[in-house]
Amino acid sequence: MKAVCWMGTSDVQTLTVDDPRILNPHDAILKITRTAICGSDLHLYDGFIPTMESGDILGHEFMGVVEEVGKEVTNLQRGDRVVVPFTIACGNCLFCKKKIWSACDNTNPNAHLMEAAYGYSGSGLFGYSHMMGGYAGGQAQYVRVPFANVGPLKIESDLPDEKVLFLSDIFPTGYMAAENSRIQEGDTVAVWGCGPVGIFAIASAFMLGAARVIAIDRLPERLEMARSFGAITVDYSEEDVDVLTAIKDLTGGMGPDSCIDAVGLEAHSTELQGFYDKVKTAVMLETDRPSVLRQAIQAVRKGGTLSIPGVYGGLLDKVPFGAAFGKGITMKMGQTNMHNYMKPLLERVEKGQIDPSSIISHRITLDQVPEMYKVWRDKSDHVTKIVIDPWAERAA
Amino acid sequence: MERALTEKPHAETVPQSGAAGTILNGHYLPPPVDKDGKQWVRTSALIVKSTSELYELWRDVEKAPLWQEQIAEVLVTGPKTSHWVMLTGDDPDKSIEWDSEVLNDEPGKRVAWRSIGGDSDNAGEVIFEAAPGGRGTIVTVLQEFRMSKLASTWETLTGRNPKQAVIENLRHFKALAETGEIPRIQGQPHGPRGTSGNAKKSIYGEKVATPAGEHQLAS
Ligand SMILES: NC(=O)c1ccc[n+]([C@@H]2O[C@H](COP(=O)([O-])OP(=O)(O)OC[C@H]3O[C@@H](n4cnc5c(N)ncnc54)[C@H](O)[C@@H]3O)[C@@H](O)[C@H]2O)c1
Ligand SMILES: [Zn+2]
Ligand SMILES: [Zn+2]
Repeated sequence: MKAVCWMGTSDVQTLTVDDPRILNPHDAILKITRTAICGSDLHLYDGFIPTMESGDILGHEFMGVVEEVGKEVTNLQRGDRVVVPFTIACGNCLFCKKKIWSACDNTNPNAHLMEAAYGYSGSGLFGYSHMMGGYAGGQAQYVRVPFANVGPLKIESDLPDEKVLFLSDIFPTGYMAAENSRIQEGDTVAVWGCGPVGIFAIASAFMLGAARVIAIDRLPERLEMARSFGAITVDYSEEDVDVLTAIKDLTGGMGPDSCIDAVGLEAHSTELQGFYDKVKTAVMLETDRPSVLRQAIQAVRKGGTLSIPGVYGGLLDKVPFGAAFGKGITMKMGQTNMHNYMKPLLERVEKGQIDPSSIISHRITLDQVPEMYKVWRDKSDHVTKIVIDPWAERAA
Repeated sequence: MERALTEKPHAETVPQSGAAGTILNGHYLPPPVDKDGKQWVRTSALIVKSTSELYELWRDVEKAPLWQEQIAEVLVTGPKTSHWVMLTGDDPDKSIEWDSEVLNDEPGKRVAWRSIGGDSDNAGEVIFEAAPGGRGTIVTVLQEFRMSKLASTWETLTGRNPKQAVIENLRHFKALAETGEIPRIQGQPHGPRGTSGNAKKSIYGEKVATPAGEHQLAS
């Protein structure tokens, strides 16, 4: 089959590899019908996540049709149409029973690597480094889905793939980000980053009762998208705009009740601290560039909540912890507990309350993926979300 | 001391001793340290199964190859004895063998064993205790071994330190007990690994075959 392989930092190639096969009794093999590139993939592309290896198959946002199931998979059949969550969960461990699915104890074959780095290991993820399980990903024509009895969500309506594909990651991720920000009716919420995660966080914040959402980014097409979902936008790159002042101006000096960092470890920064982080990460004294995190801690109101869906991987420098403590804020974060949200969010899509496909800007083939990783990284060509048809021969 | 606080509606009795020397008189004790060529490893896992189910699975030694790394075969040779065969690398013809004897067998609670002759000098115990709050069973393994020549060859070949192997085996045991399988990535497709990828295989545990789990599938 054709698959997108990580071959080194900034080097992604579409190659022919073996087809996947059933390896465990709860596995299923999927013929992928649609897959996407995520903001998280950029952290791999840019070399921020350790334990990637040449030849690893990328991709964790995908859906398809069941080809074959292992002998313990009783809920799925060949021909079923499913969306697959990017976190792999066993359904039986203490964490799965507590519905903290992304902390599953039994799905990371390389748990010892993550244990060494984080103390304990989280669940395995598709296409996201050996530390996170080393599972082959879904930017490919076929994929093996472990614990297929627990994760995949059957799509029984005739909704097109594009409307349900994002239930695999970014829609639930945006939703959990809003839930984690503990919104109460009438709250004001500030969201950093108007990428796919930020956009779904904005939408979900409104769904959960926010009265006002302030969205921060610099890319005009993304700010426009944020406005189309109902947010007030702030362009942090505009001359004379200071984000903290803007946020105070828009909240009567009070600060937002909740802040959401939907940017993560590769935050872009025009200020001196951006240069500082670049130097420090280059010499490995710091692994992440937390400029948005710093800003969000500063911006949130006293006793407010900071929700962090943006990914951080390692060591952060100069995080204003004193401000966090001094204001008595709450922070919630982590990989999305996908399995809690897929079904309820599917219902919203089925009822037509939200059209997730509205964020798609590019529809491409597998062969176009390497060049599109560059576009995605550089945010060029007005890109907002890239969806791949792994069977198309020519660009749509 | 006990009377300093009377309001503790869900507190459970503090064990006076327990879990392979982890607690004594209500106080934590660290694991034994390596000394005189003897190495120790103590590891534990919380498993959502009853003490008796886990005891049964552990005690069924002929099933050990399903969840213990590199164990090719185990044969029960008597009520308390068994014969163990362990692969020492990629070559199926190279193996080490030993006999093992159960020293103490308390159904649902504890098993202690030691090797009696052969290529491996090891002893150990496993303890099954109900976890606080009725959340399953805390399984604690304490194992000691002397590094034989073959065991260190095995480490060089597989890149897995024998202490880590004990930790991984308990992890596999938990996965098998909770889910009926052991998570694996060996056998999945990938692109060309290149030189650095090959060299790092052992770091990622790709050189030690993941045990079969409950249901062996044809490859
Ligand atoms: N928690 C999870 O389970 C989970 C799941 C999916 C994605 N993520 C993470 O969420 C983050 C966003 O993902 P995405 O797909 O939307 O990515 P993306 O790269 O498309 O979007 C990031 C956006 O942040 C903006 N940005 C950069 N610096 C900024 C700054 N200083 N202030 C304001 N905005 C800034 C960029 O312009 C861009 O629009 C990533 O870190 C991704 O890894 C987390
Ligand atoms: Zn993603
Ligand atoms: Zn689990």
